[in-house]
Amino acid sequence: MNRIFRWVSQRLNLPPVLHHLLDEPIPGGASWIYIFGSVTLAVFISQAITGAFLALYYAPTPDHAYDSVQYIQTQVPFGAFVRGMHHWGASLMMIAIGLHMLQVYLYGAYKAPREPMWIVGIFLLVLTLTFGFTGYLLPWDQTAYWATQVGINLVGTVPWIGQPVAQVLRGGTELGAVTLNRFFAIHTLFLPWSIVILIAAHLFILRRVGAAGPWDEVKAKKVSEPFYPRQVFMDAVAIGAVFLGLFLVAFLFPAHLADRANPSDNTFRPVPEWYFLFYYQLLKYSTGRWEVVLTFVLPVAWFGLLFAIPFLGRRGDRAPTRRPVAMALGTVFLLVVFTLLGIAVKQTHSLVLSDPGAVRGRALYTKLSCEGCHRIHGTGAQVGPDLSYEGDKRDRDWLIQHFKDPQKITPGSIMPAYRLDETQLNALTQYMLSLKKK
Amino acid sequence: MSEVTRRGFLGRAIGGIAALIGLALAVPLAGYAILPAFKKKERPWSEVGPVDRLEVDAPKTFDVVISMQSGWMKSDSVRSVWAFRNKVGEVVTYSPICPHLGCAYQWDGEARQFRCPCHNSVFALNGQVISGPAPRPLDTLPEKVENGQLYVIFEEFKVGTPKKEVAG
Repeated sequence: MNRIFRWVSQRLNLPPVLHHLLDEPIPGGASWIYIFGSVTLAVFISQAITGAFLALYYAPTPDHAYDSVQYIQTQVPFGAFVRGMHHWGASLMMIAIGLHMLQVYLYGAYKAPREPMWIVGIFLLVLTLTFGFTGYLLPWDQTAYWATQVGINLVGTVPWIGQPVAQVLRGGTELGAVTLNRFFAIHTLFLPWSIVILIAAHLFILRRVGAAGPWDEVKAKKVSEPFYPRQVFMDAVAIGAVFLGLFLVAFLFPAHLADRANPSDNTFRPVPEWYFLFYYQLLKYSTGRWEVVLTFVLPVAWFGLLFAIPFLGRRGDRAPTRRPVAMALGTVFLLVVFTLLGIAVKQTHSLVLSDPGAVRGRALYTKLSCEGCHRIHGTGAQVGPDLSYEGDKRDRDWLIQHFKDPQKITPGSIMPAYRLDETQLNALTQYMLSLKKK
Repeated sequence: MSEVTRRGFLGRAIGGIAALIGLALAVPLAGYAILPAFKKKERPWSEVGPVDRLEVDAPKTFDVVISMQSGWMKSDSVRSVWAFRNKVGEVVTYSPICPHLGCAYQWDGEARQFRCPCHNSVFALNGQVISGPAPRPLDTLPEKVENGQLYVIFEEFKVGTPKKEVAG
């Protein structure tokens, strides 16, 4: 290995290149606080790799998208793992970016001469959020379909340009085949190129202006250490730990796949990914003409502020103690975001408890006109037994057998045997089991 | 043995971590990309029809619906099989593909022979080659009778070889 490297190194005259890449001085020396940028980059590379592999079996059409994802998840060896890596990797990327931005903000590292790096970084954040939004639709399950429906409709509420933009996003007036194909193309072709170019720009600027180092000028000037080996080592250990965590999560917690997208189902309540949850929660508090403030004014103002941050405040003062306003605003922002996130998670959790199977079962109960014979809490006829507390009386097996062949289980019953498929049978049973006193 | 420097040690540790991550990713990814290509396809039983529709020593073609699956995509296609009952009462089914080069052969009721129009291979009722270039007898298909219904597994075999081997 060493001999091969030496041979290549001699032929290509690598030492000056390596010197340039690895011996970049870090003011104040290597530190664990600087790992987040490298971790973000590593997770991005993992997303690019797992994403490319997912595309081996993914079909971006409404007819096949769901089946192909299900095929990946259940049939392909390691498919659940690869999809899990990509799914959880997306969340991990958001966390890594959040921590990276917090560190840069805390250290005042966005100040002159590093404004361009911060601005490119905000564009990278926007691209990453777009990755998240476009990727969310691809499994074409209920969550994907309805969350995207809401997301695009949000854009539609923006005055004047909203509707045309929403239409362009959808590729028409309805969310369908064209939308899925567009989101797939954006997610896998347009965004990757854009983000690679911007990452290169981000790193190029870093190398041109140099790492910021500690906010204490004296400390920064006292020690300087090359990037290699200690900082690279710290980055590698952090990346190793993060990947170990990601591997475990991908193995232990398979990415969720809800039911196939069903545009005619009006019982489904979509919830976005957790990193959009705080905003989703915020939208719940808006009504009428205030809505546009939240859907348009606030996001625009927010990203405007993010871009303006390097130009606000006094030049040169990087220590947090000398930036009380910046620190206070940052703290308030984090408090608001995490409070909203907390409320949203709590409410979403209680929502998940109302079993989607039972919800489908109730829809089926109505569709089959079961209330023509049965009564639940005062609604329906009294030809057959009252089902208000059926969940307390029967177990799953009994119900399933009963639906398959009522007379076999209850001789003399006049209930017809409905020809239900497995999913319908389970849904109806689930609904019956949910009918309990408490 | 050369002395291990601090720089050298860190360098190796970094390389080790990178190799571990790489390996932990490469093994599942390789399996993910490669293994499904070698997965044996399970061919389902296709229904031919009531077994009493078969005539003794008079082969007829019957259409069968084959449910095919390519990855996540399921599709039905219609193919045909030759089937009859021999004098002993056994059910015989033949693949409709000539084992020479894959043409569709026909039953000549007068001559009581199967004839392939492409290269003039001629087969007896029991499938044996009577004349022509066919390298092996007609290919029988796995068949079963359940509740009076005949089922076959529609398999395709390699053509042009003396040995009957499932294609693909």
